[in-house]
Amino acid sequence: MKKILLLSSLFTTSFFYAQVRVGIESNNQYYLDDDKIKIDEVEAENRLRSNTYIKIDYFKDKWQFGTQLESYYPKGIMNFNPELKDVNIGTIYARYNDFDKGINITLGHFYEQFGSGLILRSWEDRALGINNALLGINAKLRLTDNLDLTALAGKQRLGMGFDLSDNYIMGSNFEFNLADVLNFESTELRLGASYVGRLDSERETFYEGVNQLTSAISGRVNFGLGGFNFGAEYIHKQKDIIVENETYQYGVFAPGNAVLVNLGYNQGNLGTSVNLRRMENMSFYSERDLLGNIYNNGVINYVPALTKQYDFSLQNIYVYQAQPHLDFFQAQKAGEIGGQYDIYYDFEEGSTLGGNFGTHVALNGSYWAGLKSTYDYANYQVENEFLGFGKKYYSDIALEIRKRWTDDFQIIAMYMNQYYNAPLLEGKFEDVKADIVSFEGLYNLTEISSLRLELQHMWATADKNNWAAATLEYVPNQKFSFYVSDLYNYGNDYDEDKIHYYNVGGSFSKGATRLSANYGRQRGGMICVGGVCRYVPESAGFSLSLTTNF
Amino acid sequence: MKLQVSLITMCLLFISFSYSQNRLPNVALKGLDGKTVNIAQYNNSEKPVILSFWATWCGPCIKELEAINTKYADWQKNYGVELVAVSVDDSKTLSRVRPMIKSKGWQYKILLDTNHELKRILNVANVPYTLILFKGKVMFVHSNYTPGIETKIEEELNKIVNK
Repeated sequence: MKKILLLSSLFTTSFFYAQVRVGIESNNQYYLDDDKIKIDEVEAENRLRSNTYIKIDYFKDKWQFGTQLESYYPKGIMNFNPELKDVNIGTIYARYNDFDKGINITLGHFYEQFGSGLILRSWEDRALGINNALLGINAKLRLTDNLDLTALAGKQRLGMGFDLSDNYIMGSNFEFNLADVLNFESTELRLGASYVGRLDSERETFYEGVNQLTSAISGRVNFGLGGFNFGAEYIHKQKDIIVENETYQYGVFAPGNAVLVNLGYNQGNLGTSVNLRRMENMSFYSERDLLGNIYNNGVINYVPALTKQYDFSLQNIYVYQAQPHLDFFQAQKAGEIGGQYDIYYDFEEGSTLGGNFGTHVALNGSYWAGLKSTYDYANYQVENEFLGFGKKYYSDIALEIRKRWTDDFQIIAMYMNQYYNAPLLEGKFEDVKADIVSFEGLYNLTEISSLRLELQHMWATADKNNWAAATLEYVPNQKFSFYVSDLYNYGNDYDEDKIHYYNVGGSFSKGATRLSANYGRQRGGMICVGGVCRYVPESAGFSLSLTTNF
Repeated sequence: MKLQVSLITMCLLFISFSYSQNRLPNVALKGLDGKTVNIAQYNNSEKPVILSFWATWCGPCIKELEAINTKYADWQKNYGVELVAVSVDDSKTLSRVRPMIKSKGWQYKILLDTNHELKRILNVANVPYTLILFKGKVMFVHSNYTPGIETKIEEELNKIVNK
């Protein structure tokens, strides 16, 4: 008994300065069929779907231990990676983090990003079912006050926590703050360099000329002075065999590269930014034959579409996805080239256009095209012009105005014009030109209650043609919120496809807890988060989500 | 043995309830000037600190930060509060952070959580997500935007400072 008491008191004291953090997220869906929407027969065998994550982290002095348990039981939500199944450990790690000495070493699963992620990014996105954490060792060391080194090695997670790629990933990254060394007070000048290698677990013997190690290197610079900022990054990926339709293409090899340039100028109420990017053959997977899989499984690098992430639902029907692949035989696409710009301007309170509360204006646009390439099928070669623009993939331009009219009433009005090359991007028949107008009015009924109305219309020249949409949200207090919404594809050429995607739902929030419920129809298509998309089928039913932490 | 296990469990439970949600962990984030900030430094602040997770693509986040912005100068004066706006924009949208905040004239301290290190460690599922910290303790948490929340935040600040 004494022993037990001793032990328990030891535990209490040793835990005394410790901390435990727990995070829970549970997304549940019950699929129902109605007169217009029916799910696939095989999928219908499990109408109840649930994705649940329980994450526990324990902190003690410089140590940290944690795990994430994941449950896709009885089955994961439709069109998530089918390798996410049952209940298992998603990630588990131990970390030693001595911030003052600049030592941070993780054993187990870890997330990491080098530069913009174009060479390496491991991250989690639960809405998309992406978790490409690496299992291995990640050491982050501050060598001097101005020089940071990261070195990592491991295997990538492809399904649940211990379903790993056969191949090894290793990498290192340097970050050097040159401005600090040169004692520049108000100038930012940082340099970075990275290496990432994929080492095949076995040497490829059937296809000739395949290296066991595929390497990529990158260098980057960030500079800022006054209102001006500049950033550039270059990545070169070693020559590697081309994969199409999950099959190695005998004798076809190509290197890859990417250039990313960011420019910005900000002065007073004006904010501007331009991003330019050119990529060829920049798909990079931990296993070659995962290339282009619809679940984004096994991606080593992060190649987001550099377009604005829009708020309104109709603006997210034709969403551009970045085109990093080299598709040699079929689509003859080698990459992409283009850019985007953003201009923000605030008209101040009291000015003619600012009125009593000021007016916020944002203008943005983007243009993306394929590379201008010459294919030499006799020698299995492709030549890409450096600054040549090939076929246009996508463009958009949008103007947004946010304005508060009175203490109780504010609006957002937006116009957007879009071009979407559906034949090249999705293999559909016609390209789409669309104009979208969106309006939101928010009216405060009392100090804590409000009513929000959203109205949208899209004129589209092809595919499903015109849409109209409306949402009404009522917030009675700080805890509750209720909404009804409808997206109506009234312009569809086929009468039976003129469908209402109606939804009704509500949420309850208190502290860190949020519970939301919804009944209605989900439009099929791309669900995109952070420039990465997941295809979801059309469906109807109930959903219930809970997030909390303590 | 059984007793031991239950004791340990009790200790663990005790810990998880009494010591969770307190001090911010050591996480290094970069500011817009490229300088690194250890988020744990805010544990030592003698004044309240508002930690607000947001993103350029998050409409409700912008409404919340706009609403606070109209009162921020007063709050700084009356409560000595500092608002740290942690952007969870990743490299798709990161380049919008600077022009957006500059044009709006926000005086918040902006930190960039590009690969969601802090967001993950604090178990932030969705943005906006707002915490009020005081001397290393979490005094208030709110996990979405509802119009008028700024009034509630001010009440909390008032309670903290005038306790």
